[in-house]
Amino acid sequence: MMQIYRIAHREYMENVKTKGFWIGILLFPILIWMMIELPKFLEERGIPTRHLVIVDRSESLGEIARQRITLLNRQKTLGELQQHMAKATEEQRQEKMEEINIDPDQLLDQLEQGLEQLGNPDLEIQPFKPDQLVKIGDLLPEQMLLNDLQWNNIKKLLLSQLPDDAAEFIEPPLRFKEVSLPEGISLTDGNQQIEDALRPYLRSEMMLKSGDEEVELFGLLIIPEDALEPEGRVRFWSSNLADTDLIDAVLASLSEEARQQEYDRRGIESKAVAEVASMKVRSIKFNPNKSEGDEKVGIRDKIRQYAPIGFVYMLWVAIFTIAQMLLNNTIEEKSNRLIEVLLSSVTTTELLLGKVFGVAAVGVTMQCAWIGSLIGILRYKAGPSATWIADLIAAVITPELLGGFVFYFIAGYFFYAFLFAGIGSICNTIKEAQNFMSPLMLLMMVPLGTMTFIPNDPNGAIATTLSWIPPWTPFVMMNRMAASPPASEIYGTAIMLLISVVVVFWLSAKIFRIGVLRSGQPPKLLELFRWLRGSHS
Amino acid sequence: MNMATSPIELNHVTKTYGDFKAVDDISFSVPEGTICGFLGPNGAGKTTSIRMMLDILRPSSGTISILGARRALDVRSRIGYLPEEKGLYKKMTATAMIAYFATLKGVAGGEAKRIASELLEKYGLGSFQNHKCEALSKGMGQKVQVLASIAHDPDLVILDEPFSGLDPVNQGVMEEVIQDIRSRGKTILFSTHVMSHAERICERVVIMAAGRLAFDGTVDEAKSLLPRRVRVKGKGAGAALEQLKDVTHSSPSSDGREGVVEFQLREGADPQQLLKCAFDQNISLEVFEVVDPNLHEVFVHLVGEEAREAAYR
Repeated sequence: MMQIYRIAHREYMENVKTKGFWIGILLFPILIWMMIELPKFLEERGIPTRHLVIVDRSESLGEIARQRITLLNRQKTLGELQQHMAKATEEQRQEKMEEINIDPDQLLDQLEQGLEQLGNPDLEIQPFKPDQLVKIGDLLPEQMLLNDLQWNNIKKLLLSQLPDDAAEFIEPPLRFKEVSLPEGISLTDGNQQIEDALRPYLRSEMMLKSGDEEVELFGLLIIPEDALEPEGRVRFWSSNLADTDLIDAVLASLSEEARQQEYDRRGIESKAVAEVASMKVRSIKFNPNKSEGDEKVGIRDKIRQYAPIGFVYMLWVAIFTIAQMLLNNTIEEKSNRLIEVLLSSVTTTELLLGKVFGVAAVGVTMQCAWIGSLIGILRYKAGPSATWIADLIAAVITPELLGGFVFYFIAGYFFYAFLFAGIGSICNTIKEAQNFMSPLMLLMMVPLGTMTFIPNDPNGAIATTLSWIPPWTPFVMMNRMAASPPASEIYGTAIMLLISVVVVFWLSAKIFRIGVLRSGQPPKLLELFRWLRGSHS
Repeated sequence: MNMATSPIELNHVTKTYGDFKAVDDISFSVPEGTICGFLGPNGAGKTTSIRMMLDILRPSSGTISILGARRALDVRSRIGYLPEEKGLYKKMTATAMIAYFATLKGVAGGEAKRIASELLEKYGLGSFQNHKCEALSKGMGQKVQVLASIAHDPDLVILDEPFSGLDPVNQGVMEEVIQDIRSRGKTILFSTHVMSHAERICERVVIMAAGRLAFDGTVDEAKSLLPRRVRVKGKGAGAALEQLKDVTHSSPSSDGREGVVEFQLREGADPQQLLKCAFDQNISLEVFEVVDPNLHEVFVHLVGEEAREAAYR
């Protein structure tokens, strides 16, 4: 026992001292941090106000397009306002952990009352709860956003509800802003003329004047008179056609208008159409595996269903990296013949176990650092999406998922570790090992491939079959864990896995014993087979 | 320890790989407190035998007793071993490396470190204690390996080719290390195919050839396997002494001196009779030397022509 500990201890200390280990530990949180921060950073810095010219040849279509653009701008502001409110009320929301159900109709009524009261200083405004404040942005109807007066009042009302110590809300820049044609060109010129004249502006070779500023022209939108006719085409010029938000929104608004006109022409009441179109058949989902009264399937269950994918990934990465570590240093010890000195002091079994345990400890340290930093970052970053993260953490930290992860990590790791150590023992160089590794790699890829479809049918035939194949059991069973697979399968596959771990250990120990002392060419398969039959030790 | 048993005892030990007999029915023992050379050409089965002594390999048949135990691992804390091919953990410091191997032999962690730095100091590597092994020269690395194998003060030290790859100065240091261990009453078995080392420091030799035991005994016993030779220089001495019946062979001296004739005598013959004969015949001698055969010659004699190449290395 002591020998195993000493070998494991050295293995651990030597690995922990390497640069690779620390890079691995630090890289993960840095990547996570960047994944969270980068889109935000790009959004804040990357997308400036887009300036555009609208040439409207029709009677009223230009106005419809402009309204849609205003809506886009205000939705952006509203989004930021929501985030601002969420941040400002974070403390209050965290104090009251109980979940409250928000009734959208009632909340909108309250908002309308509030707006009325805003004009009348004598009436007291019924205060919003912090959760309502965050949620209300999602409920505001488009008409309210498009009405200038109402929009300004809503902003005023919501901001007045924030705690006194809240930071000042700074309105973000507009997403899109219309600018007028440069001097020398007028709307009365032909499309061709306008397009030719604006070409250098669109190519950013010339700057356009907007008030006192010189701005870049993002796009030119020409709405023809017959835009709503089947042959009509809206002409959109931009050197960045990948950004389709603007043109999509404009086309959506015009299509709506076209449909509206068509309803009118056919004498169909559009309101009725909208009502009919909004009809939806709904469902409630029940899970028979849950206790009575708790069978309803909610968001939390959805997260629970898919959270194991994260675990499977982690399991895979962990097993793969640390088993690889084991392979490398077995080959190192073998190629510099240290193994012989070691074997004069310890038995092969002690050596094999010591190495496997030591490297496992390295892996566990890495995993703990990763999970710790992930939870740390999520908690620190928990802004408006705090409830989602709480849901996630609550879903993940359940006895069966965590217990499953620990069990499958240990069993899966030992399964592959013994296999890799066995391979390491018969190879003198990494290059030789690669020949043996490729089939093993293919074997390990299978659970990755099945990972995404197993949650959709966690107790189906494929999932069940794969669960019984030991190299895949840890991954597939982990994947199915949230769907409460039958107990007989959980225990059956676990026992099967444990038995195969013992078998792999026994085989590896045998190969290891002969392999580590052998130099020169790695053995042929037939020869390996003979070793296993014991006619060569 | 049971004084009746030798530290190393092999009884009819055989090791086969398929049809190939790497070691073929060898039996020998090494008395306590001796330095025993384990000689043989390449491929004679020395390393396989050593691995069997250390229980790294199991014999196909026969029994081995090490320090009175059936299995070397049961007495591992009393055995030190330096394998033929020497390697180090590149990223470990010299001290840590020696201490690690000592702890595997049961020395406590702190004590192991203290011993490691003492040993490094003693054998001239004091200033390299905290150098990583990859920064050491080949000779230094090999010294570190040897020290790692003896840091736990073993009763039996087995060294496989300890001199290979060392320059003459470091070979001297290695001899010193071996003598040091011997002076503390420990038993040493070392394999080599450089006869001069063996002749200088061994009391006993075991010679293997093609998997079989060719000789087991003291160095003197080994030398007595070959007849003694007499070198003589004097006018007419060659022709006169050749006639003696105990002289089996005469030739110009193998050391290349001008006019010196070398006579090989029949086994058990007294060299004095040559002197007497010369005196009787009034031949005045400038040189008269009785030469014992050296280990090299015994070795070549025992293992045959096939091993000449190995022996000369």
